[in-house]
Amino acid sequence: MTVFAPPLASPTTLDALVDGYRAHLGGRLNGVGANGIENSGVEKNNALASDALLNADGQLRPGWQPLLQTLSELGAKGRRQQQEETQRLLAENGVIFNMHDDTQQRSWRIDPLPWVIEEADWQRLAMGLNQRSRLFTAIYQDVFGDQKLFAAGLLPTQALLGDIEHYLPCHGALPNNCPPFIFHAIDVIRDTHGQWRVIGDRLQAPSGIGFALENRILMARAQPQMYRNAPLRRLASFFDVHHRSLNALAYQHRDQPNVVLLSPGPSSPRYFEHAYLANYFNFTLVEGSDLVVRDAQVWLRTLGGLQPVEVVLRQCEDVDCDPLELRGDSALGVPGLLQSMRAGGVALSNALGVGILESAALSPALPALCEHLLGETLLLESADASTQPETAPVFDEAMTSLTPTTLNLRCFVTRTPDTVAKDGHLNGDYQVMPGGLAWVGAPGSPSLGTRVVKDVWVSAPSVQPHVSQLRQARGPVVATRDGTDLPSRVAENLFWLGRYGERLDTRTRLLREALLRLMEFDQDDIADQLLNELLVALEIVPSGDDGALAVGFQDKRDRLLAQFAPQEAQSLPALFTHLLHNARNVRDHLGDDSWRVLNQLRQHIDQFDPPQDASAARRACEGLSAQLAAFFGLCNETMPHHFGWRFMDIGRFLDRVLGLLSLLKHTLEAPRSSTLALWEVVLATTDNYTAYRRRYRSELHPAAILDLLLFDEANPRSVGYMLKRLENQIEQLPGAPSPNRTPYRNAERRLLIQANAALHLADIERLGQLAEEESARQALKALLEALLTPLMALSDALSQSHFSHVERPRQLISLEADE
Amino acid sequence: MRYRLRHTTRYHYSAPVTLCHSEARVLPRQTEHQRCGPSQLIISPSPQVQMERCDLFGNRVLYFAIENVHRHLDVTVVTTLDTEALAPLPAASPPWEQVRDALEHTSTVELLLYRHDSPFIRRQAALARLARRCFTPNRPIVEAALALNRWIFDNFEYVPNATTLATPLDDVLAHRRGVCQDFAHLFIGTLRSIGLVARYVSGYLETRPPPGQARLVGADASHAWLALWIPEWGWLALDPTNGIVAGAQHPVLGWGRDYADITPLKGVMNGGGKHRLEVEVDVMPIAEEASAREATSATDQRRG
Repeated sequence: MTVFAPPLASPTTLDALVDGYRAHLGGRLNGVGANGIENSGVEKNNALASDALLNADGQLRPGWQPLLQTLSELGAKGRRQQQEETQRLLAENGVIFNMHDDTQQRSWRIDPLPWVIEEADWQRLAMGLNQRSRLFTAIYQDVFGDQKLFAAGLLPTQALLGDIEHYLPCHGALPNNCPPFIFHAIDVIRDTHGQWRVIGDRLQAPSGIGFALENRILMARAQPQMYRNAPLRRLASFFDVHHRSLNALAYQHRDQPNVVLLSPGPSSPRYFEHAYLANYFNFTLVEGSDLVVRDAQVWLRTLGGLQPVEVVLRQCEDVDCDPLELRGDSALGVPGLLQSMRAGGVALSNALGVGILESAALSPALPALCEHLLGETLLLESADASTQPETAPVFDEAMTSLTPTTLNLRCFVTRTPDTVAKDGHLNGDYQVMPGGLAWVGAPGSPSLGTRVVKDVWVSAPSVQPHVSQLRQARGPVVATRDGTDLPSRVAENLFWLGRYGERLDTRTRLLREALLRLMEFDQDDIADQLLNELLVALEIVPSGDDGALAVGFQDKRDRLLAQFAPQEAQSLPALFTHLLHNARNVRDHLGDDSWRVLNQLRQHIDQFDPPQDASAARRACEGLSAQLAAFFGLCNETMPHHFGWRFMDIGRFLDRVLGLLSLLKHTLEAPRSSTLALWEVVLATTDNYTAYRRRYRSELHPAAILDLLLFDEANPRSVGYMLKRLENQIEQLPGAPSPNRTPYRNAERRLLIQANAALHLADIERLGQLAEEESARQALKALLEALLTPLMALSDALSQSHFSHVERPRQLISLEADE
Repeated sequence: MRYRLRHTTRYHYSAPVTLCHSEARVLPRQTEHQRCGPSQLIISPSPQVQMERCDLFGNRVLYFAIENVHRHLDVTVVTTLDTEALAPLPAASPPWEQVRDALEHTSTVELLLYRHDSPFIRRQAALARLARRCFTPNRPIVEAALALNRWIFDNFEYVPNATTLATPLDDVLAHRRGVCQDFAHLFIGTLRSIGLVARYVSGYLETRPPPGQARLVGADASHAWLALWIPEWGWLALDPTNGIVAGAQHPVLGWGRDYADITPLKGVMNGGGKHRLEVEVDVMPIAEEASAREATSATDQRRG
């Protein structure tokens, strides 16, 4: 057995740290401490009797010494370096998982010193938490069952009924053989008498466990020497039990139930945790519109059709879960979900209605309820106005000294798996996570607003075996990676991610060319004319509006620079916003590296602000194209080439081919005098200038350009190549009949055949007479139309076949006024 | 009285509906004064899922889901039921303040539910002032309630289509007009605003054709009234739309805190476009002689 042996440190460093803290406690005035953190509730005279680190005699409490020794040995500089490392990892996680607000850093830092809780003290707390979960289960079963407690006068009836609005439909809705909740978050503090006191409960969509897990993982990564052989309780087994409990909720397929995590979506401030947990547990992250209730069962809409869902880990409030029976105007839920729970078609964690248990009005009634329902004395008292929190040490921002502050602790309780009991009797117990989320603040202050969080160490008698973060598989591996289980919404988001990415790229390239001509303004007639053509191509100036083009340099510059401001509908930041919105919705399908590039892209675009002159704007364009290429390149390298990737690819190449065809069309419509120069722009925006020079080594020749841009299937920028790629991708989509077996072609393939036929039947020799013969010009125009028409219809056809069933359900608003 | 009730709710959609989940409260419940025969329920198109349950108020709730594409929805319920009049009103009743004070200390959920605010009814000072016109100090509760019932009947104008579900109680109070639902909500609001307990009752009212004319099928309507809790006696059903006590001619569908708790048909659907609604109600007395006798003594102008 490994014995934890802390490295020997010079006693003076450690002592200095503790002495400094002791001085804070002893000689401090009430109010604000040295680190600027409010020391609310700290009693001046009695401070030493009520501190987490020092006992009444000013001596270190057990469990802290090895930690402080390691940290003091690092010195302030070492601690600062470590803090920077943790903060970097924290920011990185924010980038990777927090799609909602990744423009901001996390508001908090992780303190290098964890909160140490001694084993015996923890046991006391854990027993109280366990009892509280059992008590709340019994209260739920009564309130939503035969309601004996109201009649017995044991419940704060007035207060609960004032809030009953959304709980009426939940009455009697939970099948007997199903526990009301399997996850319970409880906020506690330790008071100046060393007693644990409860601040409040969270049961509807308890947050914080993802952060608690993150704190542990990041701290262990930043301070491996401190964590590796420490005698502290590990968290992994708790997550394992919780995972098994979720699976055990399933009425069917208990070995491999389909568990989904229902999130309100990227607009929720807790989306970070939802993505983090879905990733940790390997659950499908879904939103309300991904699910549908049919035959009183819950189904996940996927490309391959509807897939049954056995367990919903919901992270939405009760009232938002079902617009049929609960809040009618909520767009987050699933119509019929409550009926499905009632009928035993799906299990929810937690069951609907648990929100009523969060009511603060319950607190005064709990001691009597505990006696009545459990026959036990309530172990954990609720905090009240007179409760004073104890102090605990936290490093100041400079990492030089420890200062006293007050901490909140959110604890997490999971129900252990219930085994099947035919008599409806539930035999599950509750288990407390040995740790939690601790944050600095006055008792009851919100966790998300804190400035400092701490890892929580529960001491163990000996070093605990390290359990891998990768959970051990139980049962057979079920391969569901063929991609047909992809939610339809995700496919749609990926498709639009591709389209917006490409549109952004096309526009960036056109803008770059326009800015180049702007810089040559008034020096060259051709450049002036080209600039005008580009303004039309960019749809900044309407086609045929000569008056609008007659304006001077200043005006044209302003119009071009406006394309860098988010207010313009087709501006680069506006297009990027669409791209990012779609990307955030499919975060769990993109690789971490792709996401990093996207984040750089976002920072790049944030810096536009808009540029002051044309050359700065042109430089901004340069970086953009390269980063977009990096993003899609990484997607191609890291995304499995299943349906999701195919939809993104189809989106990209569809938008690219439409962009090229529009540009070619515009070139034909422009006055002949500028035609040749425009061809040059076409080559430049499609990045084909070099290819053209190398291949044809000639002056610009329309026939050669058309060959390169229309027919050369080896050129990824040619229409021919793009059609082939689209055809290949669309053939692989689900629901496409094998071409060998039947002559039937679905709508999207018919449209592609139409476009391909137009291209293949074109007479390139004749089209090459473009510069000389008007008929050639007309023929090319007709060809471009013949290509554009089916391709523009393709997007809708794809939506019809693959996305159209994702539509928002609506209320049948009954305006039936009785007469 | 024995009635055969027929209640049809029909929706026509301008676009196909691919999936709809509905909750219907159209099956009449048994009460102390009403015995129901089995209800015949016809839903068209046929639902794929259909389940019945009881809500917290004891009403019968029907959940159904139609999972095939449809362009109309038709829910028809036919029920035969027997109603009887309320027990004779108590000769003497306690002063209303005494009832109010006793209710302060009750922990009976059933009473408390009907004492609080509900989706359509918020307690407010204006409503309390209205109540005090009739709920004068120490007046017996039954006497005061009957007086207010009559006062609303006399001072409010029955105007069909003057209000919708969204019309707030304040507007009804300000313009003194509305339909039965508004008057019931208003009356409940006044009673709750002075600390009493009242619930919303949804049901039907038999209407009589003018002399010499045949009954028109589907010409009747659903109706709404309220019931006030009288301790040690029971629920006093009052119909402020007609200024009378609701009795044997008021077959009951169900009750709740207000309309929101007993909405006949709710639904969430995919697709559908615009929709058009038709409601047909028949309240057919089965024993014609009995009803003829009754008719001579009944109020002539019944309205709902």
